[in-house]
Amino acid sequence: MVIDLKRCTGCFGCVVACKAEHHTPPKVFWAKVLRNESGKYPNSSRQPLPIICMHCKEPECEKVCPTGATKKREDGVVIVDHNKCVGCRYCVVACPYGARYFVQKWSDYFTGKDEPSSKYAEYSRKKWLEESDRGVVTKCTFCVERVEKGLKPACVLCCPAEARTFGDLDDLSSEVSKLIKKRHGFRLKEELGTDPCVYYLPAR
Amino acid sequence: MAETQQKEMMCAPRAQLEWGFGGRRKIRDGALLLALFIGGIGAGQFVVSTWLRYPGYELSAVVGLLFIAVGKSAAHLAYLGRPARFLRLFLRPKTSWISRGLIAMIFLVVFGVAYLAPYLAPMVGMSWTAWSMTDVLGRSFLGIATIAAFIVMIYDGFVLNSCRSISSWHTMLLPVMFFIYSIAGGVAMITLIKAFGAGGLSTDEIVTLDSFLLSAMFAMVVFYIINLYSSDLTGRESLRRLMMSRTAIFFIGLALVAGLLVPLLLTVLHQAEDLGTIATLTLAVSAILELAGDLSVRHSILKAGLHAPVI
Repeated sequence: MVIDLKRCTGCFGCVVACKAEHHTPPKVFWAKVLRNESGKYPNSSRQPLPIICMHCKEPECEKVCPTGATKKREDGVVIVDHNKCVGCRYCVVACPYGARYFVQKWSDYFTGKDEPSSKYAEYSRKKWLEESDRGVVTKCTFCVERVEKGLKPACVLCCPAEARTFGDLDDLSSEVSKLIKKRHGFRLKEELGTDPCVYYLPAR
Repeated sequence: MAETQQKEMMCAPRAQLEWGFGGRRKIRDGALLLALFIGGIGAGQFVVSTWLRYPGYELSAVVGLLFIAVGKSAAHLAYLGRPARFLRLFLRPKTSWISRGLIAMIFLVVFGVAYLAPYLAPMVGMSWTAWSMTDVLGRSFLGIATIAAFIVMIYDGFVLNSCRSISSWHTMLLPVMFFIYSIAGGVAMITLIKAFGAGGLSTDEIVTLDSFLLSAMFAMVVFYIINLYSSDLTGRESLRRLMMSRTAIFFIGLALVAGLLVPLLLTVLHQAEDLGTIATLTLAVSAILELAGDLSVRHSILKAGLHAPVI
């Protein structure tokens, strides 16, 4: 995936789209937007920085996982097998991007309790428990269920500024590869050697 | 909580909230800290008692193994999100330090009990002839258990060391530091057992060991502080937390002053004067302070863990 920081307005559309798609509980953000503040007044600026799981080629989370619950699929997507995760949270601590979340239990957005307070909340809980589990670690899946059907991930589809582009990084003729080459795409924390698969295009 | 969430959404050093007291699950996350602490002193106690072999050392070794088998295991289970799946934790020793540490823990308990079987058998009404604690087989069991105990003492340091985005953890000082603290914890436990009249090292032996270990612990803490000071911005922010935030109560107050300096002073006092009847009492007080210091140092290191900003 490529995220164009010049186009991103920090509208949190991706965050909401992800929440609507995956029904993640409160305080769990598979897609989030950080505020990157730089400079000093009056020459200060604030740049939104969208963060998702980087689906690294050398994922730290996979190395440290003692159960083998975290694994990399052939297509490069890093996933968590919720039937194998024991909730030790070594991966949450080891991930340099803060892209993983431990969910002890599902809770309602408005009451904070385990019981759904509305029909939508009931539907939301059902969908969440179909996709995840209690007491395990969860993370962005690059919407594999959508991608397998030939659709774009929810955050890409819903971005009103079209700041996100999804594609095959190994294909040099793909749009993502062209964008990275043309706009000098960079990655976060490259020095750690995790080889992240999410590129950013500079704001300036 | 709202403030914590707001900070999490900034491109700034981000506190780890998964391990240690005051995490996302408040008290329950502290079970991990207790597991590391209990595991350290249990393994240290086993190693020190079987190494020095003072009269009645077997009891201390058994207590050390009980700490590991019951205390550490229970604390780990209490921490896990899905405790029923705990057997899966042993599956990836090739890459995960958690797997390595827990496998070492099993080896320590199994071979430790095998070594101590001739001592334990009469207690349950059995007569034991298969092997003795001094023959080749008994010594082999002790050798394997001792190697496993060394791994149990250092693996938590490697678990933290493998988190490369946390500057205050990504240092080889931690495994060494946890090793020294574990050995010192073992000596402190032996001192406490002696205080209860169950036999143990002589006062002179304890004072000699303590003075050496406390000096080593003090040196390690100083090296750790210097290491944080000379690392990146996130490392220096971790140091600021250790020295000037709420964590300072544990790090400076309990770990440095109560857990290191006061026991060091008591040791000097022991070496300077014959304390007579109160010697055992002062040693016991010193041991309790050392244990509190051990727990505090581990707590402080966990709490000072900050992820470097993503950009």
